[in-house]
Amino acid sequence: MTTHVRRHLWLADASRCVGCFGCEVACKLEHGLPGGPRTVRVVPVGPRGDGDALSLSFQPTSCCHCDRPACVLACPTGAMQKRADGIVFSDLERCIGCQTCAVACPFGVPQLNPATGKIAKCDGCRARIDQGLWPACTLKCPSGALMFGSPTRVVNQIRSQEAVKVARSFGEQEREPV
Amino acid sequence: MLEHHPIKRSPGTRQERDQLVRTVCQECSVACGLLVSVKGGVIVDVQGDEDHPVSRGRLCARGTAFVQGVHSAERLTAPAARRKRGEPYKALEDWKSGVDLLAERLRQVRDRHGPDALVIACDRESGLDFRLGARRFARLWGTSQVFDAAGEPLDPWPEGLDSPTAPCTEWIHSECLLLVEADLAASHPVAFGLIQEAQRRGACVVAADARFTATLAKADVALRIRPGQGNALGLALAKLMVAERGLDDRAPEGAFTDPAAWRASLERMSLESADAALGISGDALRHLSGLLAGRRAVTVLTGRELATRPHHRIWLTLAKAMGWVGRSGGGWYPVDAGTPPLAVEGDPGDAPPTQPDRETSALPELTEGGRVQALVCSGDALAEWVSPFGGVAEQAELVAHFGAFPNATWEAASMSFPAALWAERSGLFFGGDRSVEWGRPIVEPPAGCRTGLDFWMELARRFGWEQRFPWARADGLADHDAFYEWLLARSPAAVGVRLGDVRERSATARCFWPAGESAHPAALRSAALEAHPAPASLASDGAVAPGYPLALATVSSSCRSGDASRFWAWTRTLASEDAVEIHPDTARRLGVENGDEVLVETPRGELSARAQLSRAVSTSTLGTLRRVGGLPALLRKKDQSADEARALLCEAIP
Repeated sequence: MTTHVRRHLWLADASRCVGCFGCEVACKLEHGLPGGPRTVRVVPVGPRGDGDALSLSFQPTSCCHCDRPACVLACPTGAMQKRADGIVFSDLERCIGCQTCAVACPFGVPQLNPATGKIAKCDGCRARIDQGLWPACTLKCPSGALMFGSPTRVVNQIRSQEAVKVARSFGEQEREPV
Repeated sequence: MLEHHPIKRSPGTRQERDQLVRTVCQECSVACGLLVSVKGGVIVDVQGDEDHPVSRGRLCARGTAFVQGVHSAERLTAPAARRKRGEPYKALEDWKSGVDLLAERLRQVRDRHGPDALVIACDRESGLDFRLGARRFARLWGTSQVFDAAGEPLDPWPEGLDSPTAPCTEWIHSECLLLVEADLAASHPVAFGLIQEAQRRGACVVAADARFTATLAKADVALRIRPGQGNALGLALAKLMVAERGLDDRAPEGAFTDPAAWRASLERMSLESADAALGISGDALRHLSGLLAGRRAVTVLTGRELATRPHHRIWLTLAKAMGWVGRSGGGWYPVDAGTPPLAVEGDPGDAPPTQPDRETSALPELTEGGRVQALVCSGDALAEWVSPFGGVAEQAELVAHFGAFPNATWEAASMSFPAALWAERSGLFFGGDRSVEWGRPIVEPPAGCRTGLDFWMELARRFGWEQRFPWARADGLADHDAFYEWLLARSPAAVGVRLGDVRERSATARCFWPAGESAHPAALRSAALEAHPAPASLASDGAVAPGYPLALATVSSSCRSGDASRFWAWTRTLASEDAVEIHPDTARRLGVENGDEVLVETPRGELSARAQLSRAVSTSTLGTLRRVGGLPALLRKKDQSADEARALLCEAIP
């Protein structure tokens, strides 16, 4: 892939997600989708374990926008494409709803939109990011589990968050509660 | 101080619009800021208001999904009536003829059974104007049987009023946040974002609940207590922290009227059976009390359910005794505490009511006693909590429905009046922080839909009480500005809050009630608090009834709020009302598998549901989205007899 085009990173931090489904609904409104297909999907994991030792987490998932997307190779009409900035999307004017992409995708990302008979899939909110706006799901996420920005900026964000955590844990040790 | 600069957000919409409406979301008590784009009378986009101090541009599923309710094809749009249930509804010519018919039928019920035969049930979604209008109408009618959501009395605020709650934006200054039976992560995800922010800043988050909720999953310390024992946890903590550790010197001078008597009551209270009553070990309890006592800025958040049970006031007493109240990041925050006491019923010079207010019988007694002959229900109040197991609608002569959707209450009613949703009406909205917000209408309601105040005004006219509902505009519909101005002017709790200020507030300067300490009415302010005395011992779970080995608990979900959320296609499948959560071990005893049809029997009636196996509930608890929590229950498979199921369950649960 070309590297001179500005690329973006969409990152889901499951340790923050509380499973409110705000991202899923934000996406539905932004793209006018019906109830069925879930282009962003929060997968609850758990509660697992026994007795009091339970754990429960939520994993927000969406399209990986693969570097070598199987869906693009499989699409018979050329509707499924990868943009220079990395976004994999389906051109709905060309999509015939054959779902070959859905079969080809190793993650089961493309789904059929029963209202249109075409594929519904995360398009990275390309119309929004072309206008300099964040994707709908990231903007509304109440817990800050979804992050968006340039790869450098997002990596920096995670680094400084972790640094703050480590620094605070040192502080905690000094101020051990009674 | 550690410096950390988060990535700058780029908010906005790409949709073309004619109008941008700034208002607050009224799906829950957080009242997040909304920026709604409207084109040609249709909502084309909803974004969070970045300037709103609580939501800061964030929205949960409900804050977006409400659009589907507003533009739903299933909306009711014309008043309708039928002779009896089962027959098809006939649309009536207009509201006037509908209300004429309702007034006539109400008169017949009053002539035959007296004014007491009327019960009015208001759901939260119907709006403050419907609930207040109902109370005013009921006073004139001669009944006090007006029930708010889930059968709770209206206006429970006075209890907490002498200790004004700090807004939730203060939580980030807390050293410790204790959430008791408050699943904020599911019920108020945007406010929970502030708890997570506090946690990142070093606060210790402790959550106690009977169910393993999303809140417990995110907490640093998660305690699973027995169902309904939240307030008992408060008593035990008070005993350990105050009586045993002697930390009550932290309480400001003169905080309590009789501190010695309170302390003595705590000393007398036995903690011997505490682990059995609470379901947590003595060590865990001691660890928690140590954790809390070691911190100065502690906020206690208690769930709505706790307010309906005994010893709720221990939380305020404890917070005050520990010196948490009044400290930045400290205090007691009762979640969903409701609206302030608003003086809406009588007018000066009125005769006192025939019955003392709030002395009404409990709702189950009323409905099961067969005294109810006329019901006016908003939303899905009838099926949700007035009579969740059926029976009342069949006995009653008249059931009138005021709502936006053809729900189960509509199916049981014989008259229906189409309601405007919150996004279609203007009005005051009281948020959980004691904030007062002005809800602006985003779009016009469909023709034929009216607000709650319109409903009561129109009905009052039929009984010659138009002077008591004097807020009509030239077109006969209600003037909400005039109504709320009148209301604020005469309610002591709202002294100092002016409608103009609330309407014109900027997003960053919210209005709170009472407005400032000087405006705090003397009757409601108490310098010294009457400390809540401790009982002799912690009672063990009262929910267990013979023959019903399980307890049914209500579960919160970020996808469900009021009646309209049943009609949101986007979230309907994410949280199903038909599901009942069962612990896998309990299910195995009965031979129930995931997805099986099961029956939940309670002393009040039976529900059929679909099994959803989950370790979130304990082996002796069932979870449901329906608002029937707190009842003892028995679970059985469709083809199993009650005795068979009881025998299998009782082997497992002593």
